[in-house]
Amino acid sequence: MRTGDFKTGTFMYLLGTFVVVFVIAQSLFFIIKAWKQGKRLGIPTADMRNTVTSSILFTVAPAIAIVATVLTLAKSLGIVLPWIRLSVIGNISYEVTAAESALNALGVSAGLSQVVTDKSQFAAIMWVTSIGSCFPLILMPLILKKIQRKIGTVAKSNAKWADIMAAAAFIGLISAFIARAIIGAGKTDTVGDGAGVLSVATLIFSIVTMLILEKLTKKFNLKALEPFTMPLSMILAMCVAMVLAQILPADIAILEWRG
Amino acid sequence: MENTYFDRAHLWGKIWSLAALGMLFCIPVSFGLYYNVWPAAAGVMKGLLAVLPMFWTIAIVEVISYAPMLGVGGMYISFVSGNISNLKLPCAIAAMENAKVRANTEEGEVITTIATASSAIATTVIIAAGVLVFSPIMPYLTNDDSVFAPAFQQVLPALFGALGASYFAKHFKLTLLPLLTGVIVLIFAPTMGAGTLIPITVIVSLISAQIMFKKNLV
Repeated sequence: MRTGDFKTGTFMYLLGTFVVVFVIAQSLFFIIKAWKQGKRLGIPTADMRNTVTSSILFTVAPAIAIVATVLTLAKSLGIVLPWIRLSVIGNISYEVTAAESALNALGVSAGLSQVVTDKSQFAAIMWVTSIGSCFPLILMPLILKKIQRKIGTVAKSNAKWADIMAAAAFIGLISAFIARAIIGAGKTDTVGDGAGVLSVATLIFSIVTMLILEKLTKKFNLKALEPFTMPLSMILAMCVAMVLAQILPADIAILEWRG
Repeated sequence: MENTYFDRAHLWGKIWSLAALGMLFCIPVSFGLYYNVWPAAAGVMKGLLAVLPMFWTIAIVEVISYAPMLGVGGMYISFVSGNISNLKLPCAIAAMENAKVRANTEEGEVITTIATASSAIATTVIIAAGVLVFSPIMPYLTNDDSVFAPAFQQVLPALFGALGASYFAKHFKLTLLPLLTGVIVLIFAPTMGAGTLIPITVIVSLISAQIMFKKNLV
């Protein structure tokens, strides 16, 4: 049996690199295909370029927040496995639940609050997180085409209805997150993840900034700014959260009404 | 039978999904082979029993509810790279809004695919850079006592505030009921996670939109 730090050894880094290359290769493949199709459909190249740029900008801050979760899990699992798990079908709540469950099943009641030093426990976490998260990859090839064909047929037959239902679906998704920012509880041992002064202030500032920027781009016909209004509003609102945390009295800044 | 772009995208997606499945299991298998470590099947099964019913049910709900919003390419990319509701989906919605294209059209398909793929590449590169290059300085950005920490803790309100502003302004009538539902549910179940709350608010939103459409209110 090989020794050394199995959690952060070269072999684990090679596995991580393999995952990164795979995800990037798949994404590049689809971008190239979609780009060619976009040209066939007559979508302006500038629109597609703007989509790339604004999507990347939109992604930067949430991706850094994901790095923070990788670092949190790194204390127990080393840095490479959380990196791999959050790069492929990753989601912090799934990963933590699955890893805790694997450790508890092996009789480690402390779960991820302790450092995993046993290779067998580490391997069990790998298996549980992989099997736990693989189902969409089996499900999509089986049912996605049927679902989307049905949606496409309905959308073609009644475009106005389809537009309203698509908007309603988006609004349903957005409502869940906004409701959580207004009145959802966080974890009892974590500060800043529940609804409170900072979450509501950030939410309001983000909404107001977005509405102002939209008005300005329309009024002054600032087409070049249009794709960046959303990422800009988001980043400015995050800056406001940072400033408020510094200038408000501590007991107000960390106030979370539902814990 | 006509072989449309959608048909081809489904074929590519199926191939990539199967490859991703292979890649996913390659990780525990190769670790096991390299270190000659195989965990007790009973332990793994016990661990899985606690999470599979929930995870796999959520997977079914997610695949069905995200399909109308993400398009073909967006779905296959998002379910490999993950972080869908908090990143890929808002990114796709924002991109369609910017490009002024509609979901479930060929133009919408192109834009959502480009948006989710760009987001997936950016996320993967940023996480890799954060881990490989910036891990010594990342704690200064993200630790609880960092001045930047409140900014990263409020990523979701900032993101969904910006996204919601333009949608809510355009579809105010459609907004009231799902938002109110989310708030009421959380009053009684404050710890409910977004993953569980999303299907509830989406279903309420769809039903209320359908009723309003039939009554010519929207």
